[in-house]
Amino acid sequence: MNTYYAANLLVYAAVDIIACIALNLQFGVSGIVNFSFIVFQAAGAYAAAVLSMPPDTASGYDFQIYVGGFQLPFPLPWIGGAIAGGLLSIPVGFVVLRKLRSDYQAIALLVTSIIANTVITNARPFLNGAAGLALVPQPLQDQIDPVSDSYQYFYIGLSALSVVLVWFVASRIVNSPFGRSLRAMRDNEVAASALGKNPVALKMMIFIVGGVIAGLSGAILVGFIQLWAPSVWLYPETIILFAAVIVGGRGNNLGAVLGALLVPVGFEEVTRLLPNQFDLGGLVITPQVGLIPALQWVAIGLLIIGFLWFRPEGVRPEPRRVFEGSPDPSEVELVSTA
Amino acid sequence: MSLFQAAFGFGLVSMSVIALGAVGFTMQFGITNMINLAYGEVMISSAYVAYYINRAGVSIWIGMIAGAIFGAVFSFLLNRIVYSPFQRKGTSLLGMVIVSLAVSLMIANLLLPLVTYNSVSYQETSGSLIRMAGVILTTNQILIILLAVVVMLAIHGLLRYTRLGKAMRATAANPILARNCGIATQRVVDVVWLITGALCGLAGVVAALNSDSFAVANGAGFLITALAAAVLGGAGQPYGAMIGAVIIGLVTELSAAAWSPEYKEVVAFGILVLVMVLRPQGLLAKRGALAAAG
Repeated sequence: MNTYYAANLLVYAAVDIIACIALNLQFGVSGIVNFSFIVFQAAGAYAAAVLSMPPDTASGYDFQIYVGGFQLPFPLPWIGGAIAGGLLSIPVGFVVLRKLRSDYQAIALLVTSIIANTVITNARPFLNGAAGLALVPQPLQDQIDPVSDSYQYFYIGLSALSVVLVWFVASRIVNSPFGRSLRAMRDNEVAASALGKNPVALKMMIFIVGGVIAGLSGAILVGFIQLWAPSVWLYPETIILFAAVIVGGRGNNLGAVLGALLVPVGFEEVTRLLPNQFDLGGLVITPQVGLIPALQWVAIGLLIIGFLWFRPEGVRPEPRRVFEGSPDPSEVELVSTA
Repeated sequence: MSLFQAAFGFGLVSMSVIALGAVGFTMQFGITNMINLAYGEVMISSAYVAYYINRAGVSIWIGMIAGAIFGAVFSFLLNRIVYSPFQRKGTSLLGMVIVSLAVSLMIANLLLPLVTYNSVSYQETSGSLIRMAGVILTTNQILIILLAVVVMLAIHGLLRYTRLGKAMRATAANPILARNCGIATQRVVDVVWLITGALCGLAGVVAALNSDSFAVANGAGFLITALAAAVLGGAGQPYGAMIGAVIIGLVTELSAAAWSPEYKEVVAFGILVLVMVLRPQGLLAKRGALAAAG
């Protein structure tokens, strides 16, 4: 297998896994339907890009206009991307999460996602508008030659390290008392607040944590593909991640990872194998350009609806958490149905 | 000054277009408890139905009726085949939002291969120019305004003075109580999907007629303006949506005159954010967005 192909596959897989873990913390564990998730990934990517790029007056970069251009050394752009995702979460969470009913939160976030994309597309001086940023420097490209095989391994290693880090943080959160409060809030917000949990504070916290991780995923991606434009973070990209979390299994990190491998990564790989022409017994059909991607989106929609109908808990359901001294779940069910 | 007078004229047209879309959207939500995020895509599909009829040489005003019928049937089937089974299964409101977003994505991408990415426009002369008190409008724009006024009055009459309207209001207020009082709520919901679907189709054709050209990608923009007007007025409140449409129509056109037309949707969004921070229940509703999700 070609090293570049492998690097491409594995880095995308790592980015999708990190994004799905973050979305799972918000959607699966806490019940926040964050339809603007991709905006936080984009914020991280843009931040990492302008932190690592030279100023837009530098030679070779003067065909684009953007703010910043700080040329910071490697780990700083990634950290900056994560911080940018977290910082953006604060005003958005402040507007959306405080008073609104949960289904309104979802549509408000969806609208935010569409509008943010419109603004960045039209406001060229800020982040080069629709054309986006190009020639984003790769991490440590002055140390290791980016076109060498060893750089590909290096990048795979960096991404894998980030996955491990994010997995560690996420599982600490899920298994902590904080995680229990989040799940209590998700399952019954009124009961959780009656027990003294502040749902707005809990939601804000996990929204910011999710934003930080999303920002990191964007920083990793932009360091690899070296460009970032509004067309790569349209709102349907968020729906792919939702499909992944729903298919994999809401509320558990393993399900999120499984979903990331099955949906975004799996879909990309399967369609790569599709031929450009279909031979139906002498009748050769050439699909028109754009047909396969369109059908891919239809399949994502079907996947979401199919799983919500037939298996809402996903491929790997959230494990039932039973504590010592608690009544047998089967008895509890009997009592409640009686 | 004349720039703002002209903008006011466009504002009248714009509020008519938005009102047609927003009232149907908000009635769907108020009576069937369904935030139908596929609304914008049904609008654009109906606009394309009217486009193909128009291209065959039929007047767009006839095409508009076909668009409305298509919207009604499409929305009815959407509810019967997808939404209603999920609601009966006991899917939460949040789950329904996800389902409707998935449906919206599917409609847009089933439409794309059929009609392609290219922008199209109706073959229709925009009519002669008419001047009134510094406001210049085409006959088509005046017809759009008249159409919106007639439809709004019809909805008012329907909700206020007919048995069906009463049954709708009862179903919106408390479906279980309404059923216990002998109202066939399932039939009411079916009729609501037909009526709001027709409004949706009509709004799609009118919105497409009012813009120079349209493409599948416009569906999201249609949805946002309908959403903004509906939320501003208080979701589920038809009269609120009308008021919301008036405000958003005027403000977006005036801002387009003063600033830049590319930010029309952004201005609508700004209004939406202000409402969500300052008065999340909207202008008219008492509970609205503040009530706990069931």
